[in-house]
Amino acid sequence: MVCIAAFIVLGIISIFSAKYRKLAGEAWSCTAKRITLRPCDSTFKEDVKNSILSKVLLKAPKLLKVADAAIEIIAAIIVILTIWSVLVATKSLVNLYVYGTCNPSNASSCSLNASEACSANTGEITFTQSVAQFKELEWAGNWFKDFGEGIAAIPSQWQYWSAKNYLPQNVTYYNKYDSTKPTALEVIDPGCSSCKKLFVNIKDTDFLKKYNLAYIAYPIKSVSTDNGYRFKNSLLIAKYLESIRVYALTDSKKAIDWKVIDRIYSEKNSDGIPWQTAFDELLDNQQAKNTLNKWLSEFGYTSNDVTTIEEMLNSQKITNIMNSNRDIVENKIKTVQIPTIIYNGHKRSGVLNKDQLN
Amino acid sequence: MFSKERENAIDKSSTRLEDFSYIRDSEINMDAACQTMRPIPVIDALNEYYKEFNACGERVQYKWGKIVDQKVRDVRSKVLKFVDLLEKEYTVSFTLNTTYGLNLLLNSIEASPYNKVVTSEIEHNSVFLSTIHFSKKYNLERTILNRDVDGSLIYDTSEIKNAVIVVNATSNIDGRRLINIKDIVKDAHHNGSIVIIDAAQTMGHFHHLLDNCGADAICFSAHKMYASSLGVMIIKNTLLDSLKVEFVGGGMVSNVTKNDYVLLDERETRLEPGLQAYGEIISLGAAIDWLRDHDKNAELELSKTLYDGLSEINNLHIINHGVSPVISAYTDNLDANLIATSLSNSGVMVRSGYFCCHYYLIEKMKYPKLLRFSIGLHNTSSDIDKAVGIMKKISKGF
Repeated sequence: MVCIAAFIVLGIISIFSAKYRKLAGEAWSCTAKRITLRPCDSTFKEDVKNSILSKVLLKAPKLLKVADAAIEIIAAIIVILTIWSVLVATKSLVNLYVYGTCNPSNASSCSLNASEACSANTGEITFTQSVAQFKELEWAGNWFKDFGEGIAAIPSQWQYWSAKNYLPQNVTYYNKYDSTKPTALEVIDPGCSSCKKLFVNIKDTDFLKKYNLAYIAYPIKSVSTDNGYRFKNSLLIAKYLESIRVYALTDSKKAIDWKVIDRIYSEKNSDGIPWQTAFDELLDNQQAKNTLNKWLSEFGYTSNDVTTIEEMLNSQKITNIMNSNRDIVENKIKTVQIPTIIYNGHKRSGVLNKDQLN
Repeated sequence: MFSKERENAIDKSSTRLEDFSYIRDSEINMDAACQTMRPIPVIDALNEYYKEFNACGERVQYKWGKIVDQKVRDVRSKVLKFVDLLEKEYTVSFTLNTTYGLNLLLNSIEASPYNKVVTSEIEHNSVFLSTIHFSKKYNLERTILNRDVDGSLIYDTSEIKNAVIVVNATSNIDGRRLINIKDIVKDAHHNGSIVIIDAAQTMGHFHHLLDNCGADAICFSAHKMYASSLGVMIIKNTLLDSLKVEFVGGGMVSNVTKNDYVLLDERETRLEPGLQAYGEIISLGAAIDWLRDHDKNAELELSKTLYDGLSEINNLHIINHGVSPVISAYTDNLDANLIATSLSNSGVMVRSGYFCCHYYLIEKMKYPKLLRFSIGLHNTSSDIDKAVGIMKKISKGF
């Protein structure tokens, strides 16, 4: 361990100072032998330890064994930390390449993110929680599982992405479907502010004229909220959107579910508060229902229709649709960042700017 | 009660010799077995050559060259007189070091008169390796004889019949001396053998051991006897005349034709191809003069003080069988290199490891790495006190 630790330390120092490169070379020679399970035939380890222990031997000879053990322990810690750092850095790079963020569980903590997004992968236990709950092994297992999934997902970055392969049941489009235009598919959470930003950008460009834009409503789960979802009314809104698609108004020029999305992302309430903020922070479940019911009436549904839709929310049919959508997002598209948009052969996550959309 | 002689010796050992006045008190060299410190007269002799008559020897007619030739001749004589050998029987040649001298000799010996090569267990690699090579080269039996605790070679005359015997006169491990050297030479010659002595550790401390010893060749290093870095060979003329010519160069030949050459008659040129290290040779003469003027009693007293001091340290195992300027020791649980590094941090320089005696120390005796204290005339009693004091302090970690 001492050889390996010395190589790590000297290797780093050697990057900046040439005078340590010869020593680093010796350390590497010893390290190469150790990691290939051969005996180290140089005195490098002995020399390194002796340079420290010789001083201890002079000043406090009785502490020699303690110091000897301390050197081995510190060397082991340096090696373990280095290996862990390399793993974390590699995993982060893989995540950045595959998902657009180095930390899919908490995208906001990664300053290297390709773009702003809401993390969809927030259902796993954190390291701190694992220590508190004595579930370190579970945490470690998840960590390596995620790493493996990230590596396995690398080839998906090179594939041609066609939105048509991932469309949900009862798909609706922002504008009337035009078979001459390609299809784009957005994965959104109604409560996610990044989805709102992307939507605003989309509307500010010619994107909607060039593509038939569809969506999958994907309420992001969370282990730290009461209802199990990151945004408190996202599940309810998603159920409404699916129910509306099932119980669609045939005479409407524009899909009603898109009108709901449009309002949440684009408009404000009478107090000047954006509807998305209101749903995320102000309205409880019943108030949200009342608001959405009111909107449905406004968009052309009769009171009986609204009652039917409300009754449909917790039906097995809607539950099945929601599960099917979740399966598309998690197992087929395999995104951990919301919004994700598939268009022009690519899958992109986060808020795309107007130039990217044009 | 101390004898008057011993009192004088102790008194002398307490102050550093003026000729080593350049040594700082904070730096204590106890690796004289590797190479001794050089007294000022030796350094002056070397400098004088460079400053006053820096010339090639043996081939020039100008003044400086003649001075060099004369001084080199004087040194050859001094070397022989130093070990009480006769110029009419022996020739002195210079080379790089003891190892080079031994190899040169063994490579030049005609093997046909001999059926084996004999050496001893406590040899330095200079002897051990060169005899292995000699044995393999001529497919000769190689015998390793034991040495008694007093250093004498234990042998039966049948073991040294028609043999090339190569042994040290003083061990570089524990200073054991080949006290039966004259008996060995006598028995060897009686049985058709020759004796080559490795005197590297002898010349600086016990050169009288070799006085008129009758050996066929004696190889030693000038740098272990207070002179500059140089190898020296004293070779009996009968042996020298029988040697094959393995190296040829300028300074060895009287004439060169298209496809042949004629060697010079002077025997001392036989093993000296090319230019020699004239400054170093001349400084060897100064070292011999200096050594003659300095008795070894003070060094022996220091050796005794060191031996006694180290003997008092718990868990330090001294492998010497008696007092010697070379003392080796080990501990059961502490690496000798670590102790040597600690001593070095305190200004005390000693050797650690196996001192090029791998076979005896590792294979035969199975010792861990050793610590070797080897002192010389440059050391003082305060050097010894400091070294022993530090050893006692760090022995708490043994």
